Amino acid sequence: MKSLTLGHTSFWYPATESPALRDVSLDVAQGEVVALVGALGAGASTLLLVAADLAPRVTGGRLAGDVARRDRSGIVLPTPWTQTSGMAFTVWDEVAFGPANLGWPTREIARQVDRALERLELVSLASRDPATLSGGELQRVIIAAILAMDPGLVLFDEPAAELDAEGARTLWRLIRLLAGEGKAVLLATSALDALPDVADRVVWLESGAVRAVGTPDLLAEVAVCDAGLGTSVATVWRASGLLEPYPLTVAHAVQRSQ
Amino acid sequence: MTGGRLHPFTLLAIAAALPALAWILPAPTGAAWTATIALALAATRGIRRGLWPAVLTVAPFWVFLLLLHDVPTTIAIGLRITTMVASFVWLVAALEPARLVEAMVAAGWSASVAYLLAATLRAVPLLKTRAQRIVEAQRCRGLSRRGGMAARLRALRALALPLVLSALHEVDERALALETRGLVPGIRRTPLAPPPDPAVEQAARWALLLVCLAALVRRFIVPRFI
Repeated sequence: MKSLTLGHTSFWYPATESPALRDVSLDVAQGEVVALVGALGAGASTLLLVAADLAPRVTGGRLAGDVARRDRSGIVLPTPWTQTSGMAFTVWDEVAFGPANLGWPTREIARQVDRALERLELVSLASRDPATLSGGELQRVIIAAILAMDPGLVLFDEPAAELDAEGARTLWRLIRLLAGEGKAVLLATSALDALPDVADRVVWLESGAVRAVGTPDLLAEVAVCDAGLGTSVATVWRASGLLEPYPLTVAHAVQRSQ
Repeated sequence: MTGGRLHPFTLLAIAAALPALAWILPAPTGAAWTATIALALAATRGIRRGLWPAVLTVAPFWVFLLLLHDVPTTIAIGLRITTMVASFVWLVAALEPARLVEAMVAAGWSASVAYLLAATLRAVPLLKTRAQRIVEAQRCRGLSRRGGMAARLRALRALALPLVLSALHEVDERALALETRGLVPGIRRTPLAPPPDPAVEQAARWALLLVCLAALVRRFIVPRFI
C-alpha cells in the first residue's frame, strides 16, 4: 500500500521563478526504503519538505500537482541543534516533547519514548541535559524524538551527517528495521556506499527533476558515476580505467575480478 | 526567596506586581521599596547572573534621565525603571521555560501560546550565547574589539550581521522542526510533569493582585473623595 504518492509535482519557493521541484512523480510504499540522491541543490531536501507537508504550508511558496499522504509523517532535518524543543532538561523530556504534543496518554508516551531511546542506544543518556550532548548524540536524540511519535512515513534528510561510523551503521540497521515494521522511509543522503544495503529503490534527482529511478545498482551506472553519484567502489573502478559494468560494492568487485 | 522552586505563575505574578507597584505607589518612597526588593531578588540569582546585568542595563537610563530631568524626577522615574529591569532580569534567571510550558498546559492554556511565551524568555540567554560564539570566531579571524570608535563600530557590525542572519535562519529551521514534532495550533498537549501549585502560592498570587488593586484605589480613587 502506498504511503506517499507524488503526481507531477512541482514546487516554487517564495519569490522565485524557477521551480525547486519539476514535475516529480514518485511513490513510496509501506515497508519500502527509497533513497534520493543528487548534487547539492538537486531538490532532495525540498522533496522531503513537500512529502512532510511542510512545503508550502510552513515554508510558503507554491505547489502544483498531486500529493497524497496516507500516513502521518515525521522528518529528521540535517541540523540537530535547530531541532531541539529548547524546553527539555533531559534527553527523555526532549524525546517526549513530540508525543506529548500529540496528546497521548502518559503511559503511551513513556512506552514510546523508552522504546525509541533503546533503539537509538540512548538509554544511558536519558537523564543528560540535551545542551551538553555532542552533535552525533544530539542527532540520535532527534531521530529518537521523531520515531517516538510513531510516524507511518519517516523522512530523513542527511541523517548520518553528524554521526560517526558506528552511529551511522546503527542508523542504517534501524532504517531497515523500520521498513520491516511496515513503515515507509524516504531518505536523502550523500552516504552513497550505505545505499546498496539500505535502499530498495534509488531516485536520482537533477535540477529538481527525476533523472532516473532504479534499484541501488543505479549507483554503479556510467551516467551516475559521471555525475559523481556512484558508490566508492564504482568510482574507483571507473577511475582505474577498468571495464564496464562497474561493480557496486566490494563484494561485486571481488566477484568481477575472479 | 530565590524563585527557583516557586510555581511559574507565582514568579510571573511577582515580576508583574513589582513594576506595577513601582508606578502606582508614590515616588520616591514606594519605588525605592520596589526597586530594593527587585534588586534583592536579582541578587539571589547571583551577582554575575542577576544583579550585575540588571545594574548594567539600567545604568544608561539613569544617565539619560539625569540629562533630561531634575534630580527628584530622575530619582522617581529611575527607581521605577530599575524595578522593571531588575524584575525582568530576575524573572529570566529564575523562570525555567519548560516548567512554564508545563504549568500553562496544565492550566488549560494552548501549548503554542505557552511555547511562544517561554521561547521569548529564552531568547535573551540564547542570543547572548550565540553572540559570544560569533565574537570568539571573529577574534580568531583577527577582529579586534579594542581601539577607537571606528574599530569598535567595525567589530559591532561583524557581530550584528551574523547574529541577526543566523537567528533568522534558525527561526526558519526551528519552525519546521516544531511543526513536525506536533507543536501546531489547537493541539491538546499532555502535561508530562506539571509543577505543583500549593494553595499558599495561589493565595499569595491573589494577595499580590489585591495589593496592586488596593494601591491603585488608594492612589487614584480615594483622593477624589477627600
